[in-house]
Amino acid sequence: MNVLIVEDEDSLAGEMATFLRNEQYLVEVVHQGKLASEKISVNLYDFILLDLCLPDYEGLQLLHEAREAGNEAAIIILTARGDVSDRIRGLDLGADDYIAKPFSLNELHSRMNAVARRKFGIKGNIIGFGEFSMDLLQKKVFHQNQQVELTKRQFDLLHYLLINKNRALTRMQLYEHIWGNSLDDDYDSNFIDVHIKNLRKKLAQHGPVDWLDTVRGIGYRVSLD
Amino acid sequence: MNLRNKLVVYLLFTKGIFVIIFLLTAPFLLERINLYQTDLLLIDKREQIIESIMQNGSEALLSYQEIGNEGSFGIFQQEFFQLKKTDSDSLWNFIEITGRYVDDQWVDYRVLNYAFQINGQTYHLQIGTSLEQIFRTERNLIVITLILLTLFVIFAYVFNAITTRWITLPLEEITSKLKHCKSPDLYDHNPVKTSTSDFRFLDYTISEMMYKLEELFAKEREITANISHELLTPISVVQSKLENMINDTNISEAHVIKVSESLRTLNRLKVIVNSLLLIARVENNQFLKNDTFSIQDLLTEVTDEISPIGEEKGLKIISRYHSDYHLTNANRALMFTLLFNILNNAVKHSNQQIGGIVEVACGMESKSFFVTISDQGQGMPDELASEVFKRFRKKGIQDGHGLGLAIAKSIADFHNMEIHLKTHKGEGTTFRISWPVE
Repeated sequence: MNVLIVEDEDSLAGEMATFLRNEQYLVEVVHQGKLASEKISVNLYDFILLDLCLPDYEGLQLLHEAREAGNEAAIIILTARGDVSDRIRGLDLGADDYIAKPFSLNELHSRMNAVARRKFGIKGNIIGFGEFSMDLLQKKVFHQNQQVELTKRQFDLLHYLLINKNRALTRMQLYEHIWGNSLDDDYDSNFIDVHIKNLRKKLAQHGPVDWLDTVRGIGYRVSLD
Repeated sequence: MNLRNKLVVYLLFTKGIFVIIFLLTAPFLLERINLYQTDLLLIDKREQIIESIMQNGSEALLSYQEIGNEGSFGIFQQEFFQLKKTDSDSLWNFIEITGRYVDDQWVDYRVLNYAFQINGQTYHLQIGTSLEQIFRTERNLIVITLILLTLFVIFAYVFNAITTRWITLPLEEITSKLKHCKSPDLYDHNPVKTSTSDFRFLDYTISEMMYKLEELFAKEREITANISHELLTPISVVQSKLENMINDTNISEAHVIKVSESLRTLNRLKVIVNSLLLIARVENNQFLKNDTFSIQDLLTEVTDEISPIGEEKGLKIISRYHSDYHLTNANRALMFTLLFNILNNAVKHSNQQIGGIVEVACGMESKSFFVTISDQGQGMPDELASEVFKRFRKKGIQDGHGLGLAIAKSIADFHNMEIHLKTHKGEGTTFRISWPVE
């Protein structure tokens, strides 16, 4: 998939590009609004990751222009401003999602996946893992046609780990994905450990869960081929 | 009591005082006036009698009153006079009140005693007039006065109530504008119609102050937005770099763990900045309040969220919902954060032993709805209890950065809710959130 990153902060854009290239995306990076405007009007992108605070251009203006011109790329707004009105305006102008800085690259990846599924209907709605399968539409997990009863949180955690499979996720990345980043200052709590423990217990009743690893010093990882 | 009622009561009170003073002094004054009037009449009669004696001699008058020994009474015994010849040389002239038996009845009289000499003969004259009539007149006067004064007071009250309302109406409009103004940008700047210069000045000054406040808030919002951008962008850069390093298969496990620790430290910074930003945004009314939801549902959601952690610690979270309340014009996500932070705090500080209980309750209590969250933890000394809602409070109260409860407080304030805690060292802590219900 084609991704255009519009971000004036060089190193952040660079890290995003590295991460997404590892995920097999085709990535282009621009640091200026004017250049971005040109690229958007000439090329076809599947994703535009758009920073609202650009030195030479108002990010929302760029978004407005793209949608006016009939551009159908999935646009995700990246901003540190986090103002509610900015957010509403962004979504009103046709953005597909909004992610507040500082964000985790895994979270960005997960959002892009969700947007892609919603917008382009791709990636299928069933994810297979080990002896299990996850139905994203029904929000259910099955083991050989038999449903595994999971709570909403357990489902969300598993889904997030599956999207970022083969990658170690830290406890705070998981916490942030589930509860957002301003719920409590208690990021070191054992919230995630408790939820993973219960998740493992429920899945283990149906089949092996050796694919769900605890990564020492970091957090958890789903290791699948 | 508002100004209008105060003025009405004050005006009524001053009038009442005058009325009471008048009523207390009126009988005495009326009596004095009546007696003076009576005395003048008696003197007048005395002059007529003396003149009659001078012209016609005293015989007719002396023989006239010989009919009765006690002097001659007019019809209905209201008046009498008595003329006697006497050998005494002493002369006197005085008026007194004295009683007499008339037809077996004791009657009070105002009596003029006058001793005089005509042609060497001393006469003793007494002219009396009954006081019964005077007293009756006096009583009637008092009754009439009382009725008139009562009518006057009622009329004055009604008149004062109407005029005071009319005069203070602009002030009421100004206070009503302030009451309904949740934030400066929502203030109604339309001038209040009034001819009173003080009110005009007050209205104008408040309006100007609201403009200034609005401007300051806007500036603060801008600063908050800029600071957040300036702080969060570099954090974002470092976070991305560290995350990519963790995913790099070329670095050793030992380094990955170190990077992960750095990421955790960075996250602490991120959480602090985000928490401060959240508080600033809540305090700046940058959130919408257009959700309607059931408090019980929200409490159940929060409890479900945290109970796995409680169970892990061997705690039991008990819900006691006495009644439900549908909160309107509120922000559900913020209310979730508020209750989550407090319940999480309670679970965190509960004794780590089997059988510990955290109780979540809600219900109505004397015109307000309340939510209480109680733990059986260590509690805290009273002097520290007031510190818990402050940002970056002293260590020893709680671990973490101490922003969770500051966030809770700002959200409660945002929704015009009261938040208190009751705690004693060793006796657990109870947080209580309440708001008035009409």
